[in-house]
Amino acid sequence: MEWDPETYERDAVAALERASTSEEVESVSVSFLGRRSYLKQALREVRDRETGMRLNAMREAIEGAVAEKLAKVQADELARKLAEERLDVTLPAELLGPVRLRRRGSLHPSTQVRRDVEDIFLGLGYEIVDGREVETTRYNFDALGFPDWHPSRSPRATLYLGDDTVLRTETSPAQIHKMESTRPPIYIISIGRVYRRDTIDATHFPVFHQFEGLAIDKGITMADLKGTLLYVMRQLYGPEREVRFRTHYFPFTEPSMEPDVSCFVCGGAGCPVCKHSGWIEMGGSGMVDPYLYEFVGWGPEEYTGFAFGMGIERTAQLRYGIPGIRPFWDNDLRFLRQF
Amino acid sequence: MKVPLSWLREYARFDATTEQLMHALSISSAEVNGVERLGVPGDISLFKVGVVLEAEKHPNADRLQLTKVDVGEAKPYQIVCGAWNFGVGAKVAVALPGATLPNGLTLERRKLRGEVSEGMILAEDEVDLGSDHDGIMVLDDALTPGTPLADVLPLVEEVLDIEATGNRPDLLSVYGIAREVAALFDGELVPLDATEPAHTGDEPVDVRVEDEDGCPRYVGRLFRDVSVGESPIWLKARLRFAGVRAISNVVDVTNYVMLALGSPLHVFDFETLHGGRIVVRRAKKGEELRTLDGAVRKLDRSDLLIADGERAIALAGVMGGEETEVSETTSSVLLEAANFEPISLLRTSERLALRTEGSNRWEKGVDPHLAGPAATMATRLIVELAGARWTGHADVQATLPEPSVIQLRPERTSAVLGLEVPAGDQSAILAKLGFEQSNAGFRVPTWRARDVTREIDLVEEVARFKMEEIPFTLPQRDAMFGRLTRWQRLRRLVEDVLTGCGFSEAYTSTFVAEGDLRLPEPLSLEAAALRTSLIGSLVDAARHNVSVGTAEVALFEIARTYHTGRELPDERWHVAGIVDGGFADAKWAVEQLYTALKVHPAYERTSEPHLHPGKSASTAEGWVGELHPSLLEGQWGAFELDLDALVAAAPEAVEFEEVSSYPEVRQDLAFVVDDAVPAAELLAALREAAGPELRSAAVFDEYRGEQTGAGKRSLAFRVAFGSPERTLTDDEATELRGRIVQALADRFGAVLRA
Repeated sequence: MEWDPETYERDAVAALERASTSEEVESVSVSFLGRRSYLKQALREVRDRETGMRLNAMREAIEGAVAEKLAKVQADELARKLAEERLDVTLPAELLGPVRLRRRGSLHPSTQVRRDVEDIFLGLGYEIVDGREVETTRYNFDALGFPDWHPSRSPRATLYLGDDTVLRTETSPAQIHKMESTRPPIYIISIGRVYRRDTIDATHFPVFHQFEGLAIDKGITMADLKGTLLYVMRQLYGPEREVRFRTHYFPFTEPSMEPDVSCFVCGGAGCPVCKHSGWIEMGGSGMVDPYLYEFVGWGPEEYTGFAFGMGIERTAQLRYGIPGIRPFWDNDLRFLRQF
Repeated sequence: MKVPLSWLREYARFDATTEQLMHALSISSAEVNGVERLGVPGDISLFKVGVVLEAEKHPNADRLQLTKVDVGEAKPYQIVCGAWNFGVGAKVAVALPGATLPNGLTLERRKLRGEVSEGMILAEDEVDLGSDHDGIMVLDDALTPGTPLADVLPLVEEVLDIEATGNRPDLLSVYGIAREVAALFDGELVPLDATEPAHTGDEPVDVRVEDEDGCPRYVGRLFRDVSVGESPIWLKARLRFAGVRAISNVVDVTNYVMLALGSPLHVFDFETLHGGRIVVRRAKKGEELRTLDGAVRKLDRSDLLIADGERAIALAGVMGGEETEVSETTSSVLLEAANFEPISLLRTSERLALRTEGSNRWEKGVDPHLAGPAATMATRLIVELAGARWTGHADVQATLPEPSVIQLRPERTSAVLGLEVPAGDQSAILAKLGFEQSNAGFRVPTWRARDVTREIDLVEEVARFKMEEIPFTLPQRDAMFGRLTRWQRLRRLVEDVLTGCGFSEAYTSTFVAEGDLRLPEPLSLEAAALRTSLIGSLVDAARHNVSVGTAEVALFEIARTYHTGRELPDERWHVAGIVDGGFADAKWAVEQLYTALKVHPAYERTSEPHLHPGKSASTAEGWVGELHPSLLEGQWGAFELDLDALVAAAPEAVEFEEVSSYPEVRQDLAFVVDDAVPAAELLAALREAAGPELRSAAVFDEYRGEQTGAGKRSLAFRVAFGSPERTLTDDEATELRGRIVQALADRFGAVLRA
C-alpha cells in the first residue's frame, strides 16, 4: 500500500467496514495507526505546522472510527455469545443452574414499623387504606382547608405534575375519598408515600412515609383522641410512656394539637434525642374541622371526629435510634440486615 | 421569637416560675423551644454603682488610669481602668473582687503594673449589655453610690425562645405574649400607656394611599430636630436580648416597638423624600428599588410600594430603600405606622426570597388597630431619646372590618372536648383573652380577627386552656371491623416469601431520569420523572452494595409505578427483585412467589433490552431473567411483576380435593427431542394426552451429549398415575404411558429413550 494522504483515511474506514471481529478491527488499527504505519512515519517526519495539524486530525478521525467500530463489533460478539447461552426458560429453576442457598433476608425497618402500626390499629378496629399518590389539588389542598395563599401550595414546597395535579403531600386525600364513599362510623389509617420538594440531606428526602388516622363517629371527643394516641404510643414505644398534648395549628383540624411522648431515651431527664425537654414531638393531631364535613356534603354537627398524622421513618428512627434519613434510602445491606 | 422575661413582666403581672411559664405557654399558647440565661452568672450583689473620686494616669502605664471609686462603703476602692471616657464625679458600674463576669472570668484583687486593682469599672460588653467596648458605661448622675447595679441595669436576663404558630401573629410580640400569660396565670395585663407627647408645630404630612386593599391604614408622623445617635443602655440591652442588633436610637425605636407590640414600623429621612410626600401604590412596570441590603430589586406590578413624589422608596412591609434610610446626619424623620394586607406581601417576599422580621409579621396578618398604639409608643420614644420635636401627623384609613360576634354553646364545647367545662369557666377564659361577652355572643378582639371566625374557634380557645384536664378515653363503639384487605394480606405474604428466599427489602426513590410522567420542575436530572418500573432503581441499589464490598446481594422492593392514565395517572404496584447468581436464582424466587399465591404461571421466552436474550422469560404478570451483562458486572438474576395483577390472579379460595386412599403408580420417562421445543410445551402435551388419571408430572432432568445428538436434548419427566376410586392396574399404567409416548412423538418427534 502506497502512502497517499488523500486516500489514507478513506482506506482506513473502508478496511474497518470490512472487519467483523474485534481481532480484525485490532489489526486494521495496527496497520493504519500502529508504530510502523504510514501515518506514524509521516507524523515523525513532519516539519511544518500545517501538515502536522492535518495529519493529527486524520489520526484522531481514524482513532474515533476504530473505537466506534470496536464497540459495535464487541456488542455483536456479546450478543452472539449470549445467544449461544440460550436456556429453556420454561424449565424449573433447579434445572437452569445452581440455586444458591441463602440466609433469610430482612424486611425494611419502615415496613416493620408499617406492620406494627397496622396491627395496633387493626386491634383498635381500624381499617387500613392507601389511596393514590398523584392527587388533584382539590383533594390535596382544597378539601383540607389550605387557603389559596398557603405556602404548602407553592411549587417550591410541593411537587406538581400539572396545573392541578400534585404528588400528595400527606395521605389525607385518601381519607377524604373514604369520607365521600361511605358514612360514619369511619375508623381508618392511611399509610403510604408522601412527597415534598426537599433538597436531599441528612434529614431530608423528597419521599417519605406517613401514617394518618381518622375517626369519625357520633360523639367522638378530644379525650378520645388523647386516649387513642396514648394507647398507640405505648404500643409503639413502651408501656411506661406518657403523652402530652400542646395546642397547635393545622388547616384541617380545629382544635389542633401536637402530641409529645415522654422521652424513652432519658426517661424525661433530658438528652439530645428530646433536645433536653424530656418530650419528643410525634406529629400533628386534632379534631376534624367542620369544614371537612361540609366538603363531603354532611351536616357540620352530625358527627365529630379526630385525625392525626405521623412519620413512619421518624417512628423507625426513634425506635431503633437511627440518625438521619439517608440509611432508609441507601439500601445498604449492612444496614438492612440488622432488622 | 425571643422574649426577655424582664420585658414580659413589665406588661404582665403574674405569679409563676420560669419553668411553670414555659410549660403553660407550650401547652396552651405557643411552643417554648428553650430558655437562655444571659448576663451575670453568679452573685449580683458584687455589682454596684460607684462614683469616681480620683482618676489619674497610672504611674507605670501610659494607657491606663488609676482611679478611686466610692461604692457606698467606708473605704473607696482602687481600680485600674483602661478607658478614658470619664472623669472625677462620673457615676460608673463597678464589679467588686469576687464578682464573676458573663464570660466566666472571676475578678480578684491583683496588681496591675505595680498598683493594686480592686475590681473593674465595666463596659457594656463585659456584662452582656451590648457590643460596645470603646469606653466604660457612664451612668445617670442622679444615682447614689452603692446602689445595687441590678436595680439600674438588667444584669441578669432570662430569654424565652417562643415559636408561635402561623395563625397567631399576635404572639409575635412581647405584649401579645404578656396578654396570654396574664390569662394563663390569672394575672393582670398592664394597659398600654396611651399618652401622646405634645405636638410642637402643625406641619402637614402628605400621605396618599392609592391602594386601600393593600394598605388599609397609614399613620405618618413627622419629627424635626432629631438627633440620631446611640440608644441608651436599657434599650440596647433589650434589643440584644431579643436578638436584634442595635443601630441607632431612631431605628432601634422602630424595632423595639415592633417587638413590643407586633406592628412593624419604618422611618424615612424626610429630607430625602421628593416632594415631601408618601404615596402607597403598586409598582409600575420596569420599576426598580435599591433596598437597605444594597440589592437592586426588580419590581413586579403586584408589589406594594411606598413611594415619594417620584419614585419607589420602600417595599411595603418588607424592606426599606437605601436612598431614604435614616443616617447619622438625618435631622427630620418620617415615621410610618401602617397596616399591610398579608397575601400580596407574602408573594412579594417569596418572589424576592426576602424575608425580614417585618414581612414575617405582615404575612401572617397584623391587627390594623395596632398602628395607632405603635405610633404612640414610637413617638414617645423618639421624642424622649432623640430629643426630637413631633411636628406633623397624618392618619389615612379605609374602613376597617367590624369585629365579629360569635355565639358559643357551652355544651358544644364540652361535647367536643370530652370534658364538662362549666359555662362560667368558658366565659372567664374568653374574657381574659379579650373576648367581650354580650347577649349576642363573644366579640372577637381585633388581634384575633383572622383566626377566630367560627364557634369551633372559640371552642379551641377553651380547649387550649383545658388541655391538661381533658381525660384519656377511647371511642365508645357499637361495632368493630378492623381487618387487612385481601390485597394487604397478600402483600404481606409476598414480603414474607421473598425474605424467606433470602431477599432483603429495599426502598428506592419514586423518581428516575425518564418516565411517562415528567415533573415540570424536576428535582434533578436523575429525578425528573416518575418511574414506570422498579428494576432500574434496584440495579443502582445492587451496584451500591457491590461497591462497598457486600457479598450475596439479594434485594426486593414493593412499590408503585406510574403510567399515563386517563385523567390521573395509572398507579400500579409492582414487586421486583435483583439477586447475584443468575437466572436460576431469580426464577427460584419467582416460582416460590407464584406457589405461595397459588397461581400457575406460563413462562415464555421473551426479549427485553435490559435482559440476557437467552435467559429471560415473561409471564402474564411480568418477567424474570438474567440482567444484561452491560448493565451490571457479573451475573445477576432479576424479576419484576405487577403485584396488582398477581393479586387479581390469585384464587380467592382453595379448591380442596380429597386425598386418594389408593396408591399411585410412579414412572420416569426420558425423551430425546429437538432443542427448540420448550419443556413446558412437552409437559402440557403430556398432561393432555394422559387425562385425569395423571396425578402429577414434572421435569426432573435435562441432558445434552453425544447420545442425544446435535441440536437435540434429553428431557426426563416424573409422572404419577392414579385414580380416586381404585388402584390402577399395570396394564392401565402401560396404556397411559403409551398415550404419552405417542402424543409426544406425533407432535414433537420426541423419541423415548430406553
